[in-house]
Amino acid sequence: MLWYKSWLETRSRFFTCLAVLVVFSALFIHHAQGFLHPEWKTEFNRLLFIAHEYVVVLWILSVVLLGMGGLRRENAAGTSSLTLSLPVGRAHLLAVRFAVGVLEAITLGVVPWMTIFVVADLGGMPVQFPQIVFYASLLVGGGLAYFALAILVSSLVEGEYTAPAVAFGPLFLATIIFDTWLRRFDLWRLVTASFFVDRTTYLLSGPFPWLAILASLCVAALMLLASVRIVQSRDF
Amino acid sequence: MTNPPVILTRDLTKSYGAATAVRALNLSVQKNRITAFLGQNGAGKSTTIKMLLGMVRPTCGDADVLGKRISNAKENCELRRRVAHVAENEPLYSYMTVEQTIAFASSFYPDWQPDHAGKLLSQYRLLPRQKVKTLSKGMRTKLALLLAFARRPDLLILDEPSEGLDPVGIEDLLQTLVAKAADGASIFFSSHQIAEVERIADQVCILHHGCLLMNASLDQLRQSYRRINLSFASAPAQQDLRITGVEKIRTEGRRISIFASQNADAVIARARDLNAVSVDVAPVALREIFLETVREN
Repeated sequence: MLWYKSWLETRSRFFTCLAVLVVFSALFIHHAQGFLHPEWKTEFNRLLFIAHEYVVVLWILSVVLLGMGGLRRENAAGTSSLTLSLPVGRAHLLAVRFAVGVLEAITLGVVPWMTIFVVADLGGMPVQFPQIVFYASLLVGGGLAYFALAILVSSLVEGEYTAPAVAFGPLFLATIIFDTWLRRFDLWRLVTASFFVDRTTYLLSGPFPWLAILASLCVAALMLLASVRIVQSRDF
Repeated sequence: MTNPPVILTRDLTKSYGAATAVRALNLSVQKNRITAFLGQNGAGKSTTIKMLLGMVRPTCGDADVLGKRISNAKENCELRRRVAHVAENEPLYSYMTVEQTIAFASSFYPDWQPDHAGKLLSQYRLLPRQKVKTLSKGMRTKLALLLAFARRPDLLILDEPSEGLDPVGIEDLLQTLVAKAADGASIFFSSHQIAEVERIADQVCILHHGCLLMNASLDQLRQSYRRINLSFASAPAQQDLRITGVEKIRTEGRRISIFASQNADAVIARARDLNAVSVDVAPVALREIFLETVREN
């Protein structure tokens, strides 16, 4: 039932974010009706690449919003006594919250790309399913570190709206630092597919970056572990 | 052989920076008894309860609840399965409905009694589909109590459970607590409503500035505490009346009022030796015991 609680807690945010992402994706690709001519295939692929960047931005905003909550927020709302009097460990509480969030984040990553595929396909646009899978996989696989960061910040910061506001700080800072000095390890470039796009065809090429995704997931796991330690050590 | 206490604290202390909320608390709560936990606001009652349930980490000291150590996370989790807790201000998830709250809470406890929960639901006139955020304070209290009373816990820990209830609700609550105790549950509850405590408690603990000032049975308090009003032709010095058991002496002209925690007979005998004109001895209500004990300290 902890799953159920986490779902009830986040479902309005989830559906709002999903609606925004789906509507945006559908409208964005719908406006590409002009790229129906075969000779504009490259332009269509470029449009997909641009659409992906916007989807990534919206997706990151969404997962940071989904990461709000947890015991710190419950403490501010006065409900932590009820949660903590349950015969469940704090790590378990956080793990369930994270797992529900991950499922929601995956949905938020996959559904907009499915929408893009369906709208493009129905509109007769030259969309390739493997490209869609590549984009969505990069987004979800690499992007979970952003969600883990939101969870970590929500374990540190109590306020309902302070946590997401604070989360964006290190997020922007990390993006700037990595983009300037550590571009090879830049998560933003990994998730937005900048490393893999062929600038002439605007198709994603090369093998899927399993190692980079694994590294990103490891970072997410470390942030989750740090969150567990923080939550376990705090008084509520 | 006596039953082990359901709650046993050993020098339990909680400090927040320079402020000490609970100071070396050595508390023993006996099995199958209704124990009231009294204290002013900020006395440390809620902090103590939170420490017992693992929400707050003690700065030093330790405690056992139902034989499980509170400082061990695994044991604390096990003890919470056997404890029903109603927290101060009845925290409930505002985004759930009444029936969702009940379904959620019931899933964690093997001792949940669905039939009894149904009865309480209609007794408290709670609407299953109503959102918790739309409930009045009294109805929220009732829902929080339902979550505790629909189980068969070994120990009930209630933090100001009558808050927000109307007189009928309070009466129902007191009767339920007595019935639960008769069924074998141990009850540990904090309250500011001393009249309620006096009606149902077997044992009374008074906490003040984090220190335990008193842990005694209500019968014992009733038997030993006395208010002794004396009149003299000429009032003697207070120190002449200060013997063991005299907690407070107040002189008003030729009248002296003594608040004694024990030894009332010896005080009376001393007063007569000092030529008291009149001696009036009265039992003391718990309210007065509480106020005098807290003011004294």
